[in-house]
Amino acid sequence: MAEPDVITECVDRLARKLAFDPALARRMRREAEDHLWEDVAADPAGGGPEAERRAVEKFGDPDALAAQLAVVSLARQARGVGVVTICGIAAVFVAMKARLTSYAATEYASGHGGRLGDIVVSIDRCAFWLAIVVAIGGWVYIGTRRVPPALTSEYRRQIRRFAVVCLAGAGALIASVIGDGVLTSLRLGRTRGSLDVLIPVVSMAIEAACAGALVRSIRGMAQRVTATGRIAPLE
Amino acid sequence: MLKGHLDMIVLAALAAGPAHGYAVIEEIKRRSSGAFELPEGTIYPVLHRLEHAGLLAGRWTTAESGRRRRVYELTKRGKRELGERRAVWEQFSEAIAGLFKGSRSWQSPT
Repeated sequence: MAEPDVITECVDRLARKLAFDPALARRMRREAEDHLWEDVAADPAGGGPEAERRAVEKFGDPDALAAQLAVVSLARQARGVGVVTICGIAAVFVAMKARLTSYAATEYASGHGGRLGDIVVSIDRCAFWLAIVVAIGGWVYIGTRRVPPALTSEYRRQIRRFAVVCLAGAGALIASVIGDGVLTSLRLGRTRGSLDVLIPVVSMAIEAACAGALVRSIRGMAQRVTATGRIAPLE
Repeated sequence: MLKGHLDMIVLAALAAGPAHGYAVIEEIKRRSSGAFELPEGTIYPVLHRLEHAGLLAGRWTTAESGRRRRVYELTKRGKRELGERRAVWEQFSEAIAGLFKGSRSWQSPT
């Protein structure tokens, strides 16, 4: 079997180091390959294994490069989680309002289930406002952190803290969605199958999907933070 | 010292027009007369970071060789940022030059 050339070896090593972010690994593989072959083509010796070795040497250590790229990846992921959190909360709010509007339009589904309903409404409101406050806090926290030029253990700690804050916000949002689910069931339990249940059911599905997307996004970020642990932080 | 100014150096290199990573590093070498020696791969985290910050826009093209190539260019925000950094740098540079002008060259006592 033929030995891989030094360029393929270098690019493979870089891609392996970036395996925690497949899109970044693919992009860097293409960019690094293009760069290295361009350098070989421009070599005064006119190419060959020596020119390839020189190009790889000039390109630098793939491990150090991966540590610098990991920061950009984590920053991008954190911003994505921030966007999903804010959009998720906004979507849950809109779904909630749409459901309440549909209740107002249907007379038979008035009231939300007596004392139990009142307790759930209180929990629901508190949980929803808590989710908003925590999400804004998390957004401000990560937005005011400086993105370092290369991965440091301090930056990884900051992203972890942000993940914990987002998780707390997601927990509050899930509590609110569960509260909405209980209230919706209490109301719809008294109706006998009608087209009027469509909006409450769809709005509940939207709320559940938003909460699910948020949890998935936070989980992705936590996994990426853990995966970057294999890259030695440069202090 | 070079590392602290890499963002500005890359933005300045791209002020000439859109370029891919290799062309950016070549432009930096050419315009600095080879004064800036850094591992060439270092340019990519900077390009990615500046793109993430909205100072650069990147797009894929196909090179003559048939390879896929990412070309970067300054965004409006990037041009504004470069202008601001340039002004700060010129002010700093003038201040340091003023300091040197007023000092005598130091001689070793031995």
